Amino acid sequence: MSTIVATALTHRFGSELALDAVDLVVDAGEHLAVLGENGAGKTTLLRILATAARPTSGRLEIFGLDAMAERRRLRARIGFVAHAPGLYPALSATENLEFFCTLQGINRTRVTDVLDLTGLAHVARRPAGKLSRGEQQRLSIGRAVLHDPKLLVLDEPDASLDSDGADLLARVMRGRTAIISTHDHALANRLCQRMLTLRRGRVVGVPTRLRVVH
Amino acid sequence: MWCTDLRSIAVAIAVARKDLTAEWRTRELVPALAQFVVLALVIANFGFQFDSHNAPAIAPGVLWMALVFAGLVAFGRAFAAEREQASLEAMLLTPAAPAAIFAGKALAAGLLLVICEAVLLPALALFFSVPLSFDVVSAVLLATVGMAVLGCLFAAMVARVRARELLLPLLTLPLWIPFIVVGGQAVQAAMGAGGGTNQATGLLLDLDILFVVLTSLAARFVLDD
Repeated sequence: MSTIVATALTHRFGSELALDAVDLVVDAGEHLAVLGENGAGKTTLLRILATAARPTSGRLEIFGLDAMAERRRLRARIGFVAHAPGLYPALSATENLEFFCTLQGINRTRVTDVLDLTGLAHVARRPAGKLSRGEQQRLSIGRAVLHDPKLLVLDEPDASLDSDGADLLARVMRGRTAIISTHDHALANRLCQRMLTLRRGRVVGVPTRLRVVH
Repeated sequence: MWCTDLRSIAVAIAVARKDLTAEWRTRELVPALAQFVVLALVIANFGFQFDSHNAPAIAPGVLWMALVFAGLVAFGRAFAAEREQASLEAMLLTPAAPAAIFAGKALAAGLLLVICEAVLLPALALFFSVPLSFDVVSAVLLATVGMAVLGCLFAAMVARVRARELLLPLLTLPLWIPFIVVGGQAVQAAMGAGGGTNQATGLLLDLDILFVVLTSLAARFVLDD
C-alpha cells in the first residue's frame, strides 16, 4: 500500500514557481531521498508532505487520507524535522520533549527512550539553548519521533550532525516510511532505496532506485 | 467530547506553563515592563498638575495608557519569540487544537501583564494618592482578559510579517478602545470621581465573554492557515 500519493503538486510564492506539477508515490516502509540544488524546491515539497504548508494546487493523499482536509488527524502519524530546530532554549532537553508529549497526547515515559535513542541522556537536564548545534539537531530529531510516527519527513537533517549522525538517522528511519532531503549522495545511498532529483521545482527524470548498502 | 476538552485544557496549561517557565528563567520581559510602567508613572507625576481633587480623574487615564503600551509589548513578544525560534510550527504540527495553543499563549501573556499590574497599581496609588480598592483591581483584571485575547490574536496574525511592530498597535488599539473606555469609567468611579462601578464592571465582563468566544473561533484560522 502507498503511504504517499501526490498528483501534480504545484506551489507558488507570489509569481515564483517553487514546485511544478510534482507527481510522487511512496510505498509503506520505503525510504526516499530528495536531492537537488539550493532553491530546487526540496524544502517546499517536504513541508507540503509534512502538512506544514498547503500546495497552491494538486492533490495529496497520505495514508489514504486527503492531506488538505485531514491535516490534524494526519499530524499524529507524521514526524517532521525542519531546517531550524524549533526548540525552546530556556527549557531543558527533557522539558522540551515533555512539553511535546503533552501536545501529542502521549505518555511522558517516552521521553527517556527518545533521549537514549538520540544519545542525549547525558545532557537531558541542560537547557536546549546551551546544547551544541548538533545536539539541538538530535533533540529536534528526537522530538519528531516522540509519538512514534509512521511517516518521517526530514529536511536536511544531516546538516549539523557529527559522524555518528548517519547511524542515528538509520535508527530513527527503521520501520517507518521516510523522506529525507539532503545534498549528500553517499548518505542518500546508505539510507534510502530510491532517489528523486528536483530542479527548479520539477522532478528530473524518474525516481532512481539506489544501491542499498544497509 | 469530554476527553477532547480535557486534552485541550491540558495543552493550554502546558503552553502557558512553558511560556511562564521560560520567562522566569530568562527574565526578559517582566523586569523591563515593570520598569516601563513605573517610569510612565514618574513621567505622568511630573507632567500633570494634579491635586487631591482631580487626581481620581487623571490617575485612571495614566493607568490605562501605561497598561496599553505594556500590553502591546507583552502580547507582541508572545508570538514573536515563537516565530524567531521557529517553534510555533513545531507546536502546530502536533494534533493539539490551535485554539488550545492560542489559549495557552494568551493565558501566559495575560498573567505576565497581571504581574506588571501588581507593580503598576500600588505605584499608582502611591504617586497619585488614590485609593486602591477591590473595584479598581477587578476592573483592571477584567479588562486584562479581553485585552490579552485580542492582543494575542493580532500578535499571532502579524508575527509572520516584517512590519509587525507597526501593525500590531494599528490592529489592536481600535479593538481595545471599548476596554479602555469602560475600564476607565469603572476605575474612575472606584476612585471616587463619580459614576457607577457595577454597570461598567458588568459591561467589561460581557466584552470579555464576547471576545474570548470570537478569538477562540478565529484562532484556528489565524494559527493554522
